[in-house]
Amino acid sequence: MTKSFLATNRSVLVFLLVLSLFTLAVTVMAEATGYGLISTSFVKTLGKTLCLCLIAIAMDVVWGYCGILSLGHFAFFGIGGYAIGMWLMYARTEEIVAGSLANQPLPATAQELSDAIGTQIFGVVGSSDFPLIWSFAHSLPLQLLAILIVPGLLALVFGWLAFRSRVTGVYLSILTQAMTLALSLYLFQNDSGLRGNNGLSGLQNIPGVSASQDDVSIWFFWASAVALGLGYVLFAFVTSGKMGSVIRAIRDDEARVRFLGYHVESYKLFVFTITAMVAGIAGALYYPQAGIINPAEIAPIASIYLAVWVAIGGRGRLYGAVIGATLVSLLSSWFTGGSAPAINLGFYKIVWTDWWLVLLGLSFVAVTLFFPQGIGGLFDFVAVKRNSDYGPSEGAWRAEEGKPE
Amino acid sequence: MNKRLLEVSGVSVTFDGFRAINNLSIAIAEPELRAVIGPNGAGKTTFMDIITGKTKPDEGKVIWGEKSISLLGMSESQIARAGIGRKFQKPTVFEAQTVRENLAMALKNKRGPFDVLFYRKTADGAARIEALAAEIGLSDQLTRVAGELSHGQKQWLEIGMLLAQDPRLLLVDEPAAGMTPAEREQTTDLLVRAAKTRAVVVVEHDMEFVRRLNCKVTVLHEGSVLAEGSLDHVTQNPDVIEVYLGR
Repeated sequence: MTKSFLATNRSVLVFLLVLSLFTLAVTVMAEATGYGLISTSFVKTLGKTLCLCLIAIAMDVVWGYCGILSLGHFAFFGIGGYAIGMWLMYARTEEIVAGSLANQPLPATAQELSDAIGTQIFGVVGSSDFPLIWSFAHSLPLQLLAILIVPGLLALVFGWLAFRSRVTGVYLSILTQAMTLALSLYLFQNDSGLRGNNGLSGLQNIPGVSASQDDVSIWFFWASAVALGLGYVLFAFVTSGKMGSVIRAIRDDEARVRFLGYHVESYKLFVFTITAMVAGIAGALYYPQAGIINPAEIAPIASIYLAVWVAIGGRGRLYGAVIGATLVSLLSSWFTGGSAPAINLGFYKIVWTDWWLVLLGLSFVAVTLFFPQGIGGLFDFVAVKRNSDYGPSEGAWRAEEGKPE
Repeated sequence: MNKRLLEVSGVSVTFDGFRAINNLSIAIAEPELRAVIGPNGAGKTTFMDIITGKTKPDEGKVIWGEKSISLLGMSESQIARAGIGRKFQKPTVFEAQTVRENLAMALKNKRGPFDVLFYRKTADGAARIEALAAEIGLSDQLTRVAGELSHGQKQWLEIGMLLAQDPRLLLVDEPAAGMTPAEREQTTDLLVRAAKTRAVVVVEHDMEFVRRLNCKVTVLHEGSVLAEGSLDHVTQNPDVIEVYLGR
């Protein structure tokens, strides 16, 4: 009766296989490890795309499976980025400052060193003192822990308050959006302690590593691929079996699930929190590849994009979210990067940097109206129909009678 | 005399000035089969809402079990775990999931998120699902998606899910609605069998169906008990005749 989890979820194996082949192909083509067919900046783009896929599957679990349309998951992504960014920036600045102070006739005291680092980091916002929030920035293990704990804790408290009051549907979406907007506005302030609108920069430089960006980019690419693979297995595990059954039931009729004796709020909280933590991990891998993080990254629009990716890719199936995130984010950087050829209509010239959002918006509307299954739904046509019985939903026809018409 | 399982006493509920339930008192024993009838707006569904925690009464007491626990402070899921199962008027099964998944979800097991996350299928659980499916006549349909079932089959599946919860009290709201005569008969048998070991309360409009249940009947009218007794007894009650036929 009890088959192993992977044996019953073949799509997970297929996904892992495709992901490994893709990783291998990129490795072979990269500057550092292969023939240099693709540029380092493109390796970074691909690595970042994998991180976006990771947050997209998290979004799919919370929205597509559990029915909570969270418009705030990019806040957790951003928090993960800030958490790792603080250590990267601190340790890197410390390295540089210590190097320059070493030439002094007298060795620098700890206080002098700290002041010098503070001036370097916070000079742009007119300060040189370390805010309280940077207390652990010197410690990599603690900041790594923060990547999980801070988004997890925020999601736990926020979710507990929201779910306990039985806020659902569009009201919950608005609440989550308010949360991410509030966080973003807070971070924009200079005295928030995270350098205001400057954000954290230079994150691509890994302290204590002298390897070139060619090497670093492929390391992060690998790390992102591993994280995506593990995240996929984790979420496939959560959404399969009885847990998946209960989560989907909550999406479809939460009151009925309550009368079955399940404490719906605990389940929502579990899903909300675990996806927030994974979003934090995705962000922590994304921003060292992007090199910079600022509060604009966690503006509500980012989380709305996330919902668009998942909707276009196909809700309620993890690979759909991956397809949506990959396709839309890569297309988006192609169109907005200016590489897409402009279309000259004679009387008007369509410049894609301006029109891409319109195109994206139209595709979103089209998918929602005409193809709610998303791109992932195409796989249903490929899959062999298991049942020969057509069932009453297509008329009371049996297999022997043939399909209607 | 059977032991008392549920006691509702002096309960009143007002919705925007409208008294849906007015000083209602009912006691249910275990095992017992009880039919609750009454014209539209008599408060039958509100009565179930109060017991299952969906609606909080303005006054009165709802006492449960040997330990005489009050149900009023408990949430819907706690009440369900305490042993009260409810079938809704409109069949509400999870249409996107298979019959087996529906039954497995309802099966009496630990309900915490982590218990469910690390839940392993057991041979015992599978046997219980098979037995339930046989009981509700859906043995051949286990792998089908519940949304494909006929209306009557959905009603049975929901009753099956109730039985899977192994409750001490079943509240069943209009189980025969929309069923063919043959389906009705099977449903009556199902309920009568279930009532041998537990308390079953059936809310119904249809007198013929109630007659076949052959049990004690409570007539509700304007939120309180109008008459109680055998069906023949209550149908001869002049107040009941007035409510059902008069005006």
